[in-house]
Amino acid sequence: MDNPARIDRRAGLAGGAVIAVLFLVILVPGVRQLGVGVLSVLDASYVRSALRLTVPIAFAGMGGIFAEKSGVINIGLEGLLIVAAFSAIAVLWWLGGTTGALALAFLAAVLASTAIALLFAVVCIDFKADQIIAGLAVWLIALGFAPFGSIIIWETVNSPSVGTFDPLALPVLVEIPFLGPALFRSTPPVYLLLLAVPFSWYLLNRTTFGKHLQASGEDPKTLDTAGISVRKVRYAGVLISGVYCGLGGAGLALNAGQFIGGGETITAGRGWIGITTYLLANYNPVGAFGASVFFAGLDALQLQLQRVGGVEISSTLVGILPYVAVLVILGFVGKTRMPGAAGEHYESED
Amino acid sequence: MSGQDGPSMRDSGGSKYAVRMDGITKRFPGVVANDDVDFAVERGTVHALVGENGAGKTTLMNVLYGLYEPTEGTVYVDGRPREFDSPRDAIDAGVGMIHQHFMLVDPMTVAENLVLGVEPTKWFGLVTDEAQAVADTRELAERYGFDIDPTERVQEISVGEQQRVEILKALYRGAEVLVLDEPTAVLTPQEVESLFAVFEELVAEGKTIVFITHKLGEALTAADDISVLRDGRLVGTVRAGETTREELATMMVGREVLLEVTSEPADRGPETLAVDDLVVTDDRGVRAVDGVSFAVQAGEVFGVAGVDGNGQSELVEAVTGLRQPESGAVTLAGEEITHDSRRERIEAGVSYIAEDRQHRSLVLEYDLLRNGLLGGQTLPEFSDGRLIDWGRTRSFVERVIEEYDVRPPDASASARSLSGGNQQKMVVGREFERDPVLMVASHPTRGVDIGSIEFVHNRLLDLRTEGVAVLLVSSKLEEVQRLADRMAVMYDGRFVDVVDPDAVTEEEVGLLMAGEYPDDYERGEGEKRATTEDRPTDTANID
Amino acid sequence: MDRERLTRSLDRLVDATVLERLAISLAALAVAVVVGGVIVFLSGAVATCRDPALVLGGTAMCYDPIEVYLTLADGAFGSATNLGLTLQETTLLLFTGLSVAVAFRAGLFNIGTQGQMVLGGLASALAVLWVAPVLPASGLGALVAIPVAVLVGAIVGGLYGALPGAMKAYADAHEVITTIMLNFVAMGVAFYLVRNHLGDPTTDAVQTPSVPEFVRLSPTISGTRFSVVALGFGLVTAVLVYLLYERTVLGYDLRTSGLAPEAAEYGGVNAERNIVTSMTLSGALGGVAGAMYVLMILYRWQTSMPPLGFDGIAVSILAANNPLGVIPAALLFGAMKGGAIQIDFALGVPPELVEVLRGLIILFVAMPEFFRMLGTRAGYGSEEGAVATDGGSEGGGRDG
Repeated sequence: MDNPARIDRRAGLAGGAVIAVLFLVILVPGVRQLGVGVLSVLDASYVRSALRLTVPIAFAGMGGIFAEKSGVINIGLEGLLIVAAFSAIAVLWWLGGTTGALALAFLAAVLASTAIALLFAVVCIDFKADQIIAGLAVWLIALGFAPFGSIIIWETVNSPSVGTFDPLALPVLVEIPFLGPALFRSTPPVYLLLLAVPFSWYLLNRTTFGKHLQASGEDPKTLDTAGISVRKVRYAGVLISGVYCGLGGAGLALNAGQFIGGGETITAGRGWIGITTYLLANYNPVGAFGASVFFAGLDALQLQLQRVGGVEISSTLVGILPYVAVLVILGFVGKTRMPGAAGEHYESED
Repeated sequence: MSGQDGPSMRDSGGSKYAVRMDGITKRFPGVVANDDVDFAVERGTVHALVGENGAGKTTLMNVLYGLYEPTEGTVYVDGRPREFDSPRDAIDAGVGMIHQHFMLVDPMTVAENLVLGVEPTKWFGLVTDEAQAVADTRELAERYGFDIDPTERVQEISVGEQQRVEILKALYRGAEVLVLDEPTAVLTPQEVESLFAVFEELVAEGKTIVFITHKLGEALTAADDISVLRDGRLVGTVRAGETTREELATMMVGREVLLEVTSEPADRGPETLAVDDLVVTDDRGVRAVDGVSFAVQAGEVFGVAGVDGNGQSELVEAVTGLRQPESGAVTLAGEEITHDSRRERIEAGVSYIAEDRQHRSLVLEYDLLRNGLLGGQTLPEFSDGRLIDWGRTRSFVERVIEEYDVRPPDASASARSLSGGNQQKMVVGREFERDPVLMVASHPTRGVDIGSIEFVHNRLLDLRTEGVAVLLVSSKLEEVQRLADRMAVMYDGRFVDVVDPDAVTEEEVGLLMAGEYPDDYERGEGEKRATTEDRPTDTANID
Repeated sequence: MDRERLTRSLDRLVDATVLERLAISLAALAVAVVVGGVIVFLSGAVATCRDPALVLGGTAMCYDPIEVYLTLADGAFGSATNLGLTLQETTLLLFTGLSVAVAFRAGLFNIGTQGQMVLGGLASALAVLWVAPVLPASGLGALVAIPVAVLVGAIVGGLYGALPGAMKAYADAHEVITTIMLNFVAMGVAFYLVRNHLGDPTTDAVQTPSVPEFVRLSPTISGTRFSVVALGFGLVTAVLVYLLYERTVLGYDLRTSGLAPEAAEYGGVNAERNIVTSMTLSGALGGVAGAMYVLMILYRWQTSMPPLGFDGIAVSILAANNPLGVIPAALLFGAMKGGAIQIDFALGVPPELVEVLRGLIILFVAMPEFFRMLGTRAGYGSEEGAVATDGGSEGGGRDG
């Protein structure tokens, strides 16, 4: 695993990729068609739909950054998304068409997700549970509870349609050519996300809390001897991941207007993709957002292509592209450096 | 510095002593680490605390720093009695400690580390004032003449520089008294020298310094006063200018110090290990061993001394089969094994005590039974190559536990639950009892309590008597001198010389360890190709 | 090795840590059952039902948790058919549980059993469909086709497990992330292949044609798909895996490589190769689970296979990753799955309850410290050992 070998392997990979692309373009007529099809669907409405799909992935990814930077690996992000999505729809259904119901449902989802994150924090930080197994448990509990709850409430694993956020055009800004309709005629969760990205970056890189978060994940003992409570910092990191997943899950559900409890549920692995976005972006929230846009963009493209029709490409294969991309990157390109003490318990000496 | 006549008296705190510890006793279950110690440090001086490993130096300083509460006795800082519940209280009272393992967050910058926990902020605390942090760091560094870039990441600067960041960190928090635990252990000779220059700067600024060392030369060079601890008691405090190395050594050890081998040399047998012009690169691809040749006979202890990081680890790994050399040959009992796997070498009788026992020599998750098998999976004593004979493994492990006094004496205890000394005894026992042909012992007593050190040493010499060839690598010069029949001094990937340990003084070896030859020095029998005449010469104060 | 010595070492292998793990597993199970009961009880307030179990301050509580658990037990063991359903689930869980346990023993967390099972099952179904036409439709044909199916499932599952193993060993890619990704990839690829190329053209469902009668593992208990042959195979596999890890040099090497690669190398083991081997073995068992699902349950491969791979994680964790412990753990989860239909049928409680229980059990097994704290508070156990003194303080080790 020394340097020369790594360089050789990268060169090999690049060569392989070029050959693969050539192979596709020359031998697969569908790919040529695909190019044409893709160009035809890229418009402002496509960008808007991609951004809406970005919401759960990017929020999960950024939430994961906060938890993991503090030293607690939260692989239960998918579970938190499910909890939030379910809570949002359940509360909205319960409130019916009352005014402000959407906002309340949104808030309830954030609270529910944060409550589960708090539980996860207690289990991991105070009861020193194995973070990976506990995170997995959070996912599996949510995966079981969501259809369970759906059946209890609606007598079927899927909820009825209960309503969605309407797009909110921002005056003046929406007039900007292309960018205006693409960005500023979105739903509130999208605006929240666009605010949360710079906010997260700022929090991590420019504030004292961000420094403490980093120290807590890298070298908790040093932080402790500097007089800062590692426990509090880690709790904060995990709770932020809960809040963010709440925003993401609620955004997802209130975009669809319905909760789907069957199979992988409505979240369909977006929490896992969220994890991969921050690994790809090396714990940078802006990068994680970028990766989320990419994955969501593929997802939206697949939906659009289905609508356009006539393109011979399996939506399933497009669907697994993000996962393959992550595998290639993890296996061949850079190694993401995890925080030095991530996954380890820390016990203060005094 | 010892030329300064007496400590400079300042009137800032009203007391002549910056630190006074009265009647400190610290007991641990079964051990008295400090026994009624009276220790005082005058303001504005450098004070060395010397003693052998296990004499209670670190315990005493941990009491001062609030990590341990004393069983009896009182700590005075600035003339006032203090009760420290945690290191934070000690920092608040102006006592800063620099541990052997630095308390620095590696991926963060120097300035970020400096202000961690006490960050300057702006905009009502919403933002860390990084410019301020950098400016503060720069100002502080300049004041003490440190050449440090505040914006560099700690992982990118040298160990010596990291140590200075630690010192600055303590100063930034208002430390008046700096306590350094074995600050020179990780430094090159040049870095040691400049550290002592830093001490001078600090004292000139009115700070007080206490440093722990077991190297007498350093204490004499850098300190104004020297306190000697032995077996948890304070033997005495002397002025550096009014004592000698011999006097200090006698105080430290409690008897006249004789560097004598404790057992008669054994009958040497045939050449067991031969290393010929070995070149080995480290993980980064840098040449760590640069053309080393030597031979070890049966019944001989061949010692390799040197400051850590001069290629010893790579040499050992190439001999034991954990690392493939670039060129050269390793021969065991006449058979070339240069490209044999680790397992083949184990089967050929190469035993190995690795320097990092917690990651190499032991599986902490395993119990002692399973650890007793490690490396021996394919030896006929323990398996037929496929099936493990746990019965024989168990009796082997139980024998090791008994003969090597491993505690708790329980084969089902996990390795993790054992103390460092007992972990090492388990490893030593396992490796010794496999009837090796060649024993490679790398830092065999690192982090081991004094009782176990003695034990390991005697066993190594017993092994020699039994006709085993022993390759001993250690950064503890005393250890190599005490045990080795011949001693190589390694510097920058080469053997500077191979000498008779009894025929050289500590000073001479010290110079060799810095890569230079003492005046009027007659070279030992050394493997000639391993030395060079054109080494850069630098004057270093090491003992 | 003589017999006396063998018995003695067997006795010693059942040591204190095993007992402690057993106690933790049982305690976790108990707490999960209680918490699950509370969830059922509370959700009864939201559900609608005709005759509530209890009316509390005007709120109808639909479910009585004790009744739910009794019904669950009845559904699992109450009749020959119920027992058959339980045992058929148990058989499958044995394989997925062992798959996870094999990796876990070696310090590797294989979440990819699901994907390995999906692909192994598909390959196995395709192999049978390919080989069956040239075989006599008799017991003799079965003797050839069934082993071929199992072997192909094991090979494909094993290769798919080797992939994250190699990525872990040679590229240091965390196996938890890679195996999760590979699960999605496996499901996507299998779905694509079956729908677009290999599926049954006579139906819209994404599935392969069904395998011929003679290749199916015939049910031992009528009305179920439980085959005692498959169960026997599973039990033998569990014992073999146990012996592999406890008795053989290979097992020792595999385990050491996963737990402490540097120590493994010190001990003369190629740690990287062994990490790949562990994951291959784990994947192969996942593939066999897929083959069993095809041969015993569905007689064909169909998309959306049940999450037996994830259940396997729960089985393995509850069994403290002990291959023999997997047997009772698989039975427990098998019973929960078998009984789940009954609680839906008789009481209207959503069968997904057992999935919630599964998650809760994993959660509580993951926090042994919680139970230790409870134990300490109740007055058992001591707080800490002696503190090492100067010079000896390096030992002890860090918190794992």
